[in-house]
Amino acid sequence: METLYIEATKSTPEIQFDPGNNKISIKGQSYPENAFKFYEPVFVWMDAYLKQLEQEVVVELYFNMPYINTSSSKCMMMFLEKLDVAHQTGKKIMIRWYYDRENETALECAEEFKEDLTLPFEINPLGEEP
Amino acid sequence: MSNEGDSEKHQPLDQNNLLYDKGTMRVVIFACISIVLAVMLTGSISYFVTQDAIVKKLKSQDMVYIIESIAAKIDGRVDRAKETSLILARDPVSIQWIASGETDNILGEYVKNKISNIAQDYDYANAFMVSGSTKNYWAEDSKLLHVMSESNPDDNWFFSALKVGKVVEINIDYDNERGGETFVFVNALLGDQKNPLGIAGVGLSLKDIAKDFQSYKFGEDSSLWLVDNQGKIQLSENIGQNGMYLNDFVPTTVVGQIIEDMAKEAVGGQFIEYADSKGKTMDLIYRTTKSKNWKVVFQMPRSESVGILNHIKWGVTIASLVSLLLIIFVFYFISNRIANPFKRAILLTQEMESKVNERTKELTDKNREIMDSIEYAQRIQESILPPVTSFTYVFTDFFIIWQPKDRVGGDFYWIRKIDESRSLIAVVDCTGHGVPGAFMTMAINSILDHIVAAFPDQPNQILSELNRQVKDTLHQKNSNQISDDGLDISICYVENKKRLLFAGAKMSLYVKRADQVYEIKGDRKSVGYRSSPEKIEFTNHEWMIEAGDAFYMTSDGYIDQNGGDNDYSFGRKRFIQTIADFGEIPMLEQRQAFEDLLIQYRGTELQRDDITVVGFSF
Repeated sequence: METLYIEATKSTPEIQFDPGNNKISIKGQSYPENAFKFYEPVFVWMDAYLKQLEQEVVVELYFNMPYINTSSSKCMMMFLEKLDVAHQTGKKIMIRWYYDRENETALECAEEFKEDLTLPFEINPLGEEP
Repeated sequence: MSNEGDSEKHQPLDQNNLLYDKGTMRVVIFACISIVLAVMLTGSISYFVTQDAIVKKLKSQDMVYIIESIAAKIDGRVDRAKETSLILARDPVSIQWIASGETDNILGEYVKNKISNIAQDYDYANAFMVSGSTKNYWAEDSKLLHVMSESNPDDNWFFSALKVGKVVEINIDYDNERGGETFVFVNALLGDQKNPLGIAGVGLSLKDIAKDFQSYKFGEDSSLWLVDNQGKIQLSENIGQNGMYLNDFVPTTVVGQIIEDMAKEAVGGQFIEYADSKGKTMDLIYRTTKSKNWKVVFQMPRSESVGILNHIKWGVTIASLVSLLLIIFVFYFISNRIANPFKRAILLTQEMESKVNERTKELTDKNREIMDSIEYAQRIQESILPPVTSFTYVFTDFFIIWQPKDRVGGDFYWIRKIDESRSLIAVVDCTGHGVPGAFMTMAINSILDHIVAAFPDQPNQILSELNRQVKDTLHQKNSNQISDDGLDISICYVENKKRLLFAGAKMSLYVKRADQVYEIKGDRKSVGYRSSPEKIEFTNHEWMIEAGDAFYMTSDGYIDQNGGDNDYSFGRKRFIQTIADFGEIPMLEQRQAFEDLLIQYRGTELQRDDITVVGFSF
C-alpha cells in the first residue's frame, strides 16, 4: 500500500498515513470549504487499509486537532466509525488523541467522539503523555 | 472581450524607445569616445616617442654619418692628391729633368708624359710641374701653359711656396688659364726641401666632389655645403649655390657659430638646431675638414626627417575611424541579437498583460455578477429572518448578533408567536456557510414553519420532526452521495413569561440568574444528517423564569472563533464568563460587549464561521 501524505494548509490538517509502520496521524485545524471533498481520499485510503489489515497488527492513530468545524467533525465521526467497526471485527486499533490544556474546545470535541465509540480512545494533554 | 479592452491594450508603446533608450545611446557614445580617445592617445604617445627616437637617431647617427662621410671623402681626395703630388715631385727623372733646366728632350718627353698620365689616369682636373729656374709651368698634354713671373700676383702662390718650403701645400685657386673654375691645388716641393728645384702637383676640380655631394642628397629640402672660412660656399650639392654665401641660406648668427666654431666642434660634428625665418625647425651639423680649415655643413628641415611620422598620423586616424565603425557595427549587431529577444519579451509581456487584463475584466465581471447575485440572495435570506418587532413583542429586552462569514450564511434565527402568551424562538446552524449554507437555511426555515403548527408547545418533538423531514427532503433517496447535510439547533418554548422549555441538537441554552450562569446542554445529536437515525428523541428541559433571568442561545461560530495568543477557539468557558461579566447590563450594550470582545480576541484572524448569538430577558 502506498503512503498517504497530505500537507497541511491553513484550513486543513496534515495527514500522514504510513502503512509500512502502521502509523497514522492527523495534525492540525480542519475547516475546509468542502470537508467531504477533502476527506474523501482519506476515507478511500482507510477503507483499503483496513481491508488488508491483519488481525494481530496493532495500529495506533494519533490525533491533534485544535479545531474541527461542524462539517469536518461529521467527516471525522464517519472516519472514526470505520475504525470502530474494524475494532469490533477484532482488529487491534487504538486512538491517542492529544489536546492542549489551554484549548477546552479541543478536549470537548475529543470527549464527544470518545463517547460514541467502543475502541480504545486515549485523550492526553500535550506534553503530558502517560 | 469588449472593444474597450482592445483599445486599452494597444497603448502607444514606443518600441524604439525601449530598444534604443537614452541609457543605451549614452553607453554607445561613451564607448565610442573612450575607444577613439584610447586609440588617439596610443597613437600620440607612439608618435612622440617615435619622433623623439628619430630625432635622437638623426642627431647621433644619421647626420653625423653623412657629415663624417662627406668630410672623409673630401679629406680622402685631398690626401690622395697629396700622395700623387709627392709621387710626381719625387720622381728622380722629373728631378733630373728640371735640374737640367728642361734641356734633355728624352727626359722631357718622359716627364711630360707622366704629367699627362697622372692627370688622366688618376682622374685629376690637372697636373703640373713648375721649374724654379726656368719658371716654366708644364701642364698635362705636354703644354707649356705659362711662365711664372714674380710680378704677376696670380703667381704669388708659386714663389711663396718655394720660400716657405712646406713639402705639401694646398691652395684654392680660381684659375683663369683653366677656364675659370675653382680648383683645389695640391703642391709638392720638387727635390730637396731646403733647396727646392720647383713645384709639382695636381689640381682637383670641386666639380668632381660635387657629384659625391649629390649622392648625399638626403631629402627634398636638405642641403650640403662646403664652406670656406669666409662663409663662402665653395661647393654645394646644388651647383647653382656655388660661389654664394652661407648667409644666403642660414641665419647670420648660425653662420657665425659655424665659422667661429664657437661651440668647439664635438667629435664627429657639431649639431645646431634653429628655427628659420618661417619658424621651421632646422637640424644642422657641421664639421671641419682635416685638409683645410673648411667646414662641411649639412642641414635638413625637421619636418622632412620626421616625415615618416605622417604615416603614423594617418595610421592613427584610420585606426580611430575603423574602431568607430567596428563599435557601431558591434552595437548594431548586439542590439539585433540581444535586443531582439528583449523586444520579443516586451511583446510577450504586452500580450500577457492584455490577456491578464482581459481575464481580470472577465473575472471582475463574473465577480460582480456573482456578488450581485449573492447580494440579492442576501436580501432574500434576510427576508426570512424575523423582523425586530416580532422580538419586542415577546421579550422585554433582547439582542441579536447575526454575522454570516460571507454575505449569506448557514445560520439563522427564528421566532414564532403562537398566541398572546406563547412563543417559540430558535437559533439554527446549518452545515456549511456561504451560499450552500444559505440554501439550507431557506429549506430548514420553511420546514420549521410547517412543523410548528403540529407541535407548538413541544420543542423536543419539533426537533424530532425536523430531523425526519430534513432527512427526507435532502438526501435520503440518494444514498450514493457523499455529502451529508444537517443542522444544529436550539429552540425555546416560552409560556406566559414564566415557563421555558428548551430542546437542543448539539446546542446549549445559557441562563444567567443572579451571579450564576447555567449551561443547559441540548442532546448530542444533530438533525437531518444521514448518520442521524430516522427517529431521534430529543429532551425538553424546563426552566421556571424568574425576574432578572437572562437567556442566551448561540451557534458554534462565536465559541469556535480562533484568535488569542495560541490561535485557539474563543471557547465555551470564555463565553460563559462573558455572560457572567456583562449579563446585568442592557441587552443592546451586551451586544456591543460581545462583539467588541470577539473582535479583540480574533485580532487579525478572519471570521471562521457564521456567528449568531441571541440574548433575551423578560
